[in-house]
Order: sequence, then C-alpha cells, then structure tokens
Amino acid sequence: MASRDTPNPLSRRRFLQLGGAALGAAAAAPVLAACGSSSSSSSGKTELTFASAKFFGKSNIGQIVDQYNSSQTKIHVTYRELPPPSSSTEVHQQLVQSLGRGDGSIDVFTQDVIWIAEFAGAGWALPLDQYVNASEKSQYFPGLIEACTYNGKLTALPWFVDSGMLYYRKDLLDAAGLQVPTTWDQLVTAAQGLQSSNKVKYGFLWQGKQAEVLVCDLVEFVGSAGGRILGTDGKSVQLGDQQAVQATQFMYDTMNKLNISPKDLLSWDEEPSRRPFTAGQAAFLRNWSYVYNIAQDKTESQVVDKVGVAPLPAFSGGKSTACLGGYQYGVSASSKHKDAAVEFVKWLSNPDTQLKFATDVGLAPTRPAVFDRPELAKANPFMVKLKDVFTGGTPRPVTPKYPQVSLALQSGVSKALTSGDVQGSLNSTKSAIERAVS
Amino acid sequence: MSVVSTTRPAVTHPGHRARQLGLWLAVALIVVWSVFPFLWQSNASLQPDRNLVRSAPKWLPLPGTLEHYRNVFTIKHFQDYIFNSIIVAVSSTLVALVLAALCAYALARLPVPGKTVVLGIVLGISMFPQIAIVTPLYLVLRRFLLLDTYQGLAGVYVGLAIPLMVWVMWGHFRAIPKEIDEAAKIDGAGPVRALRSVIIPMALPGVVTAGLLGFIASWNEFMLALSFTTTPDHQTIPVGIANFTALYYVPWGDVAAASVVVTVPLVVIVLIFQRRIVAGLTAGAVKE
Amino acid sequence: MATPTNRDGLRVAQPVPAPRAEVVPRPAPRAARSRERMRLVAGAFGLMAPALLTLLAVSLYPVLRSLWLSFRDTTLALQTDSFTGLKNYRLLWSDEQFWNAWRQTVGFTVASTLLETLIGLGIALVLAASFRGRGLVRAAVLIPWAIPTVVTSRMFGWLFDGQNGVVNYLLVRLHLVSHNVNFLGSTNLALPTIVLADVWKTAPFMALLILAGLQTIPHSYTEAGRVDGASAWRIFWSIKLPMLMPSLLIAALLRALDAFRIFDLPYVLTGGGPADSTETLSTLAYKRLFSGLEIGYGSALSTAMFISEGLIAIGFALFIFRRLRALEG
Repeated sequence: MASRDTPNPLSRRRFLQLGGAALGAAAAAPVLAACGSSSSSSSGKTELTFASAKFFGKSNIGQIVDQYNSSQTKIHVTYRELPPPSSSTEVHQQLVQSLGRGDGSIDVFTQDVIWIAEFAGAGWALPLDQYVNASEKSQYFPGLIEACTYNGKLTALPWFVDSGMLYYRKDLLDAAGLQVPTTWDQLVTAAQGLQSSNKVKYGFLWQGKQAEVLVCDLVEFVGSAGGRILGTDGKSVQLGDQQAVQATQFMYDTMNKLNISPKDLLSWDEEPSRRPFTAGQAAFLRNWSYVYNIAQDKTESQVVDKVGVAPLPAFSGGKSTACLGGYQYGVSASSKHKDAAVEFVKWLSNPDTQLKFATDVGLAPTRPAVFDRPELAKANPFMVKLKDVFTGGTPRPVTPKYPQVSLALQSGVSKALTSGDVQGSLNSTKSAIERAVS
Repeated sequence: MSVVSTTRPAVTHPGHRARQLGLWLAVALIVVWSVFPFLWQSNASLQPDRNLVRSAPKWLPLPGTLEHYRNVFTIKHFQDYIFNSIIVAVSSTLVALVLAALCAYALARLPVPGKTVVLGIVLGISMFPQIAIVTPLYLVLRRFLLLDTYQGLAGVYVGLAIPLMVWVMWGHFRAIPKEIDEAAKIDGAGPVRALRSVIIPMALPGVVTAGLLGFIASWNEFMLALSFTTTPDHQTIPVGIANFTALYYVPWGDVAAASVVVTVPLVVIVLIFQRRIVAGLTAGAVKE
Repeated sequence: MATPTNRDGLRVAQPVPAPRAEVVPRPAPRAARSRERMRLVAGAFGLMAPALLTLLAVSLYPVLRSLWLSFRDTTLALQTDSFTGLKNYRLLWSDEQFWNAWRQTVGFTVASTLLETLIGLGIALVLAASFRGRGLVRAAVLIPWAIPTVVTSRMFGWLFDGQNGVVNYLLVRLHLVSHNVNFLGSTNLALPTIVLADVWKTAPFMALLILAGLQTIPHSYTEAGRVDGASAWRIFWSIKLPMLMPSLLIAALLRALDAFRIFDLPYVLTGGGPADSTETLSTLAYKRLFSGLEIGYGSALSTAMFISEGLIAIGFALFIFRRLRALEG
C-alpha cells in the first residue's frame, strides 16, 4: 500500500528499535546481587553460605542460623533457602546446578538421604572422616551412618531422621482383644476381622502410587522378608530373589486376594492414604511420622487419642524394617573455607541443636541420646516413642545411580502390582537396574 | 445466535419456546460445570479439614470456620505472594500485548516476505517442552543476576506469552477489511496510529482475549516461578501455595482458602473486561 | 462482495472517489514503488523486531542448547561431555517407555483437543446469545481456567478419589454405577480420567477464543440469512461455521500444541502410573532430566517432542492456510 501521506517509516522504525533496545536494557539491568558469597568479609569473619530445603514449624532454619551467628564471632553464615522438600526434585536440581559448578558458592548444604551416594560419587561432597572420629560416629543411629557413607567414606553428617511405621487403631484392637501385630499374618487376620465386623472400611492402607514412596514401601516389605533390593556391593541386584518376590506378592495380595486394601492405593501417596485413616475409616496405616500430630489434631482428625504407633510387622524369618528418610548435612568439596564449614556443620549436628530442631521445628534427632532429654519428652512426647522405630531403620539402595534405580523400581513394581505377574515384572526390573548400575 | 431477542416482536411459534428452554438448560449446565469446582473449594475453605473426608460430603459449611483464611493471611503471609503475582503478571502481560500487537499488525497488514515462515517460527519456538527450558533459562538468569527478581521472571513470561498473543491477534487483524486501513490513511494516520486508533478498537475481542489468556497464564505458571524465585519477596502465588506443604501434609482447607482468594479477583477482572468486549464492537467502526 | 458494514448496518467509509494516485509522481515509477515497498518491509521488521527478539532470547537459546546436548554424553558429575552423535536418539528409538509415553501423549492430545474444541464451541455459541445475566455467565465460565494449576491438579485428585471423591459419591447416588469407581488407580481408567479433568479445566479457554472469533462475524451476514428464512441450524452451518473456521482451527492448533506438553495433571494425580499408563512425554522428560540427570537422553527426548509437535503444527498450519485461502476465494 503506497501513499504519499505515510510519514517516513524509517524514523518510526528507529524509534521502535530504540524502544526495543531500552526494554532489553531495562530487562537486563542487574539489580540486587544474589545473596551469598564465599569470601572473607572486611570484618574478619569467615563468610559461609548454607543452602537448605525449607522447613518450618514453631521456628525455622533461618532463625536457628541467626542463633549460631550471634553465639560466636568467627563465622557468619548466610542462609540460602531452597524450595521445601515437597518440591524435592527442584531442591535436587538447584543443588546439582550449584554444586556442579564447583565454584564454592555453597559451603554447607542439606541433602535428602537418597542423594548422598549420588553427590559423593560425583565428588561434590567433602569426605568427613578426618573431622569425625569413630566415637563421634557411634553417637548416631547406625542405619543412618550407613546411609551417610559411600565407598567407605563418610560424606554426610546426620541431621534429622524419619521412617515408615505402623499406625493402628488401639481402641479397635483393645475392643476386639487383639494384640498389636508383629507379623504380617497377624495384621491380615486382625484387619480382616475388623473389616468383616464393619468396624472399619479398610483393613490396611499403604502407598502404591508410582512415585518415590513406592520404593520406600517396597524396601520395608522386602526387608521384612529378610531380602534386599541391591547387594552390599552396590552392583548385584537381588530383586528377583525369593524374598523380594514374596514381599511384592504380599503387596499385590493385600488388594486382590486378602482384600484388606483398596485398589485405589495404586494412585495414593502419603496424604490420600492418611486421610481415610484419620477419618476413622481404616484399622492400620503404614506412613511417616508426621501422621501422629495430625491424628491428635481435633480440627483435622476423627480419631484423636485412638491411635497407636509401632514398628512395622515382619514375615516369619524376617525382621521389622523401617525405610529411612530425612535430610542430612553435607560440606561442599569446593568450599573455600572447609574448616569453618565443618565447624558449622558440627554445631548443627550437636545434641543441643538437634534438640532445638526437635522441639521447635518437629524434626526427629539422629542421636539416640537426645531422645532421652526431658525437654523433648515435654515438648513432643510422641517423638520419644519413635526411638525404637528409628533404631531399625534401613536405607534405600545405596548407589550413585539411585535416581535411575528408583525410576526403574517405580515403573516395574507398579506393573507387578497391576498385572499380578510378580516374578516376571521383577525380573525385567532387575535387568533394568543392572543396566543402570553397571 | 439470538434466540431470545428483545427487539423482535413477540412471536410464539412452537419451536421458539423449545429453543428458549434449550438455551436456559444449556446455560444452567455450563454454569454448574464451571462453578462447581469453585463452590467445592469455597466449601472446603470454610470447614475444618476433618469434614473433608467423610463418606457423604458436607454440602453446606455449617458450622463454618474462618481459621483457614486467618492462617492464609497471618501465618503464611499470602498477601506478599499476591502482590508479587500482580506485579509480575500485569507487567508481563502489558509488555507482551504491546510487542505482540505490533508484530501481529505487521504480519497482517504489511508486505512481509516469508510471512508464513515467521508465523511458523513464532509458533514453533513456543512448542518446546517447558521442562527443557528451565535449566538453560536458570543459567542465563543466574549469569545476569536476574534470579529472584521481578524483571527476570516477568521477562521470561513476556517471551512465553508472545506466540499465543501474536497468533490470536493476527487472526483478528486479518479479519478486519483492508478498507478500514485505507480510510484511516485518508485521514492522515500512519500505520502505528492506525493500529492504535482504528484496528485495535475493532479487534478488541481478540486483544482483550489475548491479554486475559496471557495474564492467567502468568498468574498460574508454576515450574519456572519455583526455579527462578527464592524468597517471599518475589515468589508468586503458585509457589506460595505449593510451599504450604513442607514435607507431606497438605493443609487442604488453607489451600482452598488461598485458591478462593486468588480466583475471585480474576473473575472480577473478567467481569469488567467482558463488558469492554461488547462495548468495543459498537464503538470501533468508522461511521459514515 | 457486498458493501462492508459494521454492526449498526452502516456502511464503512469508502475511499473518496478522487484520483487514485497511489504513487507519487516520481522520475522512475517502478524504482520508486520498490523503494516504497522496501520502506514498508523495513517498517514491518521494525514493528516485529521487539517481539521476535524477546521470543528468541527466551526460547531460542534453550532450544539450541537442548539440541546440542542431545548429541553429547554429558555428566554433570565430572563436568565432562563428549560427542556421541546419534547414540541418544538410537537409545530413544529402542526405548519402549518412550514409545509408550509417545502413544499416550498423542492419544491424550487428540482426545482432549477434540472434546475441548467441540465443548468450547458449544459454550461459545451459548455465550454469544443474548440473555439476562450473560455477562456473569461469561465471567463464571473462566473459573476452572482461573484456579491456579497447582490447586486444580490436587483438587481433581480429591474429586476423583476412588473412595471418598465427590464424583464417585454422585455417580453412586444417581445409580449410574453400582459401586465406587477406581478412577486413578486402574490402568484403563487413569488416562481417560486425566482427559476428563483436562477438558473440565480447559474447555473455557477454548470457549473464550472461539467466542472472540464469533464476535467478529458481522451481524449483517446472519441477518441476511435470517431474512432469507434460513433456520438457525442452517445459519450456523452455512454462514457462521465457515466464517468461524479460522478462529476455530487456530484455537484447536494452539490447544493441541499445549495438550501435547501436558505435565501437571498426570504428574500430580498419578505420577505417570499406575504401571506407566499415564506417562506422557513431559512427565518422562521431567523424571529423566531432573531426577535422573540423564542430560543427553533427556535432551534427545525433548528434541523428539519438539519434532513431533513441529510436525503436528506444520500439518495443522498448512490445513489452516489452505482453508483460509479457500475462504478468501
């Protein structure tokens, strides 16, 4: 379209170009620098950056870090908050991006227990053996120290622990004259009895969603049959062995043959399985420690004061197994202030700080001794009872390839639970895992 | 499709009544479909969580409780997240609208060589799975110190909104007869002026639609916001809601209250703007 | 074509019948015309530049980087990478999990786009009619789309819960089913349930796009049809639908491309399960890239997604352009 009246488009174009450039410049203008730097400040204090997933309770991590800063004058810690563990994949990603650069932008960090081997294998976590001697190590739960060790080296210092446990309706068991089950057979009998007498809608709830929690449940069932998923050498896969098959078959049977669990479990993770239990619809529940406080909350639960907690049952010939969870501390191998970082980490992991985390943030200690402290009994009497459960804690397969192993397990076990072909599904999962860890 | 018309004389033939009834039935169905989730959320937000898991749902929140709304504002400081979301969504939508309108106009009206290619690229580049762009963008933003800033997040949202806006507005600009442009040119207006004073008012439905959709997309975007913002000073609503859950427990009543608080203003905005859509049509044409 | 009119039936201004001197008298008319054209083209690029530059800045670098990484074997651990050619793609090609996700993603895309377009069209037609309270209904229609996605996914989890969900409650009460349906925990029903949830949430988006398109159809055409005595159905089918086609197809295209990348619903509701039955390309890519840190493989997967979407888009776009050209005659 030509017209003599059109103003010169070139000048307009220049204007727009300038405008575009201005926009671009405005968008790129650096503002406040990202927080955290790893250099000694002019005040002489050593500056550390501590990156942790976000937890909150009566107080939060930031406040505890502040307490550390004001308690001494040598070190100043800047707390960098990562997303909460409910977005654990993002926490993992951000840690990977920062640690992978190897520039020392993070000195101390927290890692989910299942990432410890991965970060250690990648060389991002500083081995702590020279800073922590054997007697110090013995003050923690042994299962946790095992989870914090990779290739014989300690690469994480324990922070808090969580594990799976059995919740049961003590009012219903008492009324029916039943004991708390210690074997799976006893649990099945109790559950079926309570279901048929219409005391509950479901006998036993656990988590079957194709997600990480399925691996946790699997570890508990397999361990309680005396089996393992991955051998202690980290390479041999024992998933096709008789104990694992027995355990997985049991998981399948709860929904199909024994009928004590609804098939909807296959899409349920922690919360969807917790809700029917605290609504009074189930007799037994396998879940993490967080359920207890909710069960005692009047606005949340219909079963206040009716819930008991015990270690999970086992198969005859096996041992009760609780799958370990929880975040642990790590020191970055590329930290520019390793000694200060270790000093800070040891403070974080000492008995008093662990007590503080327990009473103020609700995170269970990893030192058995702290469970005996009177302050804990006063603030959180339930947590004291968990000491025995945590003592039997077992880690998930320890291998730097854990993420791939977990994905293979999630997919394979879910197939076993839907198709019923347990041996076949476990065999193909075994091949997938062998490929991953080779 | 004016079945119910106020200007026609009242004609009662048998089909008319049936059609009227059909229309009202359709409207009722649509309203139920749209509003049900929201009503369910509002219901959940006014009841203690205990009532949410019952064999028979409690349809009316009686007795109700305001604890969830209290929690949302006093404990979770949700107003911070709302503020951040408003800034990011409004700024990114406005900037994207301007840029996209200029681009769509050029594509619709001016002789651009390889128009189809450009449109194809605009569309194509937006098709990359979001998962794959998170890490590269994270690295870029980190390099330019734009992590945890309004500009960083809003800038990314502008880039993500442009394809949809360009396509929607391009479609509407094309539909406007070229004679309108001619008339504007006779009046002495240049292309940009013509765009602003004549084309956009006529294509207002398209522009407002593009703006609304872009706004809601920015408002609801989660994965990038989670990765690019780290403090409540800059985190947006979806991140705020996701952070209600520390480890496992989902405080569903609080989440419901937060989502009600967030949805109502959006609905109000749409209410305001949908009137503008209708108004724009009658005012935009060049009368003679 | 008849004289164009606006909604009031007034003729839109015609150019004044003055000498149509489109070219200013210049020494060489053809050179001047091409100079003029160049100026317009330059102006056009000037108008497009800010948008395109922003687009490229945000989207091009990630795309290229992903492509680059897909040809290499990168380990973040050792901060090394080596060129491996097509190895990642070969792995992808023989990976049954990838094809499973691909099939399910395509199925989901087709089903949800079709349903959303049809239902969206229906909603838009109703909303275009005039009735009391129309404004309120239009605002109400957007509610499912306006609720934050982080909430909608979990909310559908609640609503479709196999034991305590409202949907099951209503279905059983209305005697449509005999007992609770295991929507999300059964391999047959999980994906259709996710389609249903997506349709519930996204049909308003389509309705809005289509409604905007409906508004730009000049009233004169439908009036002409009515004057000719055509039934409402005929008017719709022969007049409105053809004019609506561009908007409809564009909306469907945009929606299909988005649906192909569906992530939140399957990831939150079922985690890709049970037994991989709701695994989509995006959830698979997320798991492999973020959890598994399989960067080469994950990048190849993203590129494969990109190519698939590109093919869909090209096919669709060609179809749209052909129809548009046919419409313009």
